[in-house]
Amino acid sequence: MKNFKILEIKEGIFDNNNKEADLLRAELKQQNNLLINLMSSPGSGKTTTLVSTINALKDEMKIGVMEADIDSDVDAHTIANTGTKVIQLHTGGMCHLDAEMTKQGLEGLGSEGLDLTILENVGNLVCPAEFDTGAAKNVMILSVPEGDDKPLKYPLMFSICDVLLINKIDAMGFFDFDLEAATTRVKKLNPNIKVFPISAKTGEGVEAWTNWLRGAVKDWQES
Amino acid sequence: MHELGVVFEVIKTVKNFVDKNDLTKVDTIVLQIGELSSMIPKYIHECFPAAIDGTEFEETKLVIEIIPAAAICKGCKHVFNIIKHKSQCPECESLEWGMLTGKEFSIKEVIAC
Repeated sequence: MKNFKILEIKEGIFDNNNKEADLLRAELKQQNNLLINLMSSPGSGKTTTLVSTINALKDEMKIGVMEADIDSDVDAHTIANTGTKVIQLHTGGMCHLDAEMTKQGLEGLGSEGLDLTILENVGNLVCPAEFDTGAAKNVMILSVPEGDDKPLKYPLMFSICDVLLINKIDAMGFFDFDLEAATTRVKKLNPNIKVFPISAKTGEGVEAWTNWLRGAVKDWQES
Repeated sequence: MHELGVVFEVIKTVKNFVDKNDLTKVDTIVLQIGELSSMIPKYIHECFPAAIDGTEFEETKLVIEIIPAAAICKGCKHVFNIIKHKSQCPECESLEWGMLTGKEFSIKEVIAC
């Protein structure tokens, strides 16, 4: 009979990942590289938003993109067409990225010398909210066809984000989307969140968002 | 599934603990999950066999302790269950209270040698 005994661990399940994420954030700070974790549902227009963001900023800073998907590399091809450095990460069936996978992605991308790296997380509003990737800022996209009640359904995701982009506002007329109601619901969960209504397709509102992003890069590099 | 990635994280943490403490066999992993945590114990149990498959923990058992959603009333200091009493103090009917427990999601201990 083996001598089993009770050994206390008393560790939160996310503690390990949180520690790795903090280390990665400190490393990126040293390198003056602002890492943005971009999250949303599938089909909200993440890749289109990225393309218009890159086109607005690529002449003034060095940008890298990490595309995380369970499979395929269609998004990486779209981004590569903008001339930006991009790497496709496959999560192998996992529904989110953690800090360790993000770190490996940055190494694969060759992130040295970059001012801004955008991580396009797996399209999912549940799991990515639980795992700190090591990003300096969390940004999420909510698109008009998804409905203004999304914040009520996925409160954690809206609580952890610094910025909310409400995309596809050009389609507002076709859907019962109440911009004011959506903003109120989000602010109730997270009073500090910045909300930018945009249309990645027409370019409407994109400048306010890229101005914020430009400021965030500057703050990260100078503070 | 949301719980699956989380269970893998549990196994990772336990593996680190096992290596650090030179343990040879883990009989049981004990988790604590609060009633108001976003994790559903039933799904954690269902994902567990997939997470231990092919690992050194294939024979390890999983035990989940549920931690009640307890709050203390700011008015009369009565301690009550938030879910059972629908977020209202059953003594003085106040809606002002502070949460004591219920959001836990941690690995309490392992039974190992």
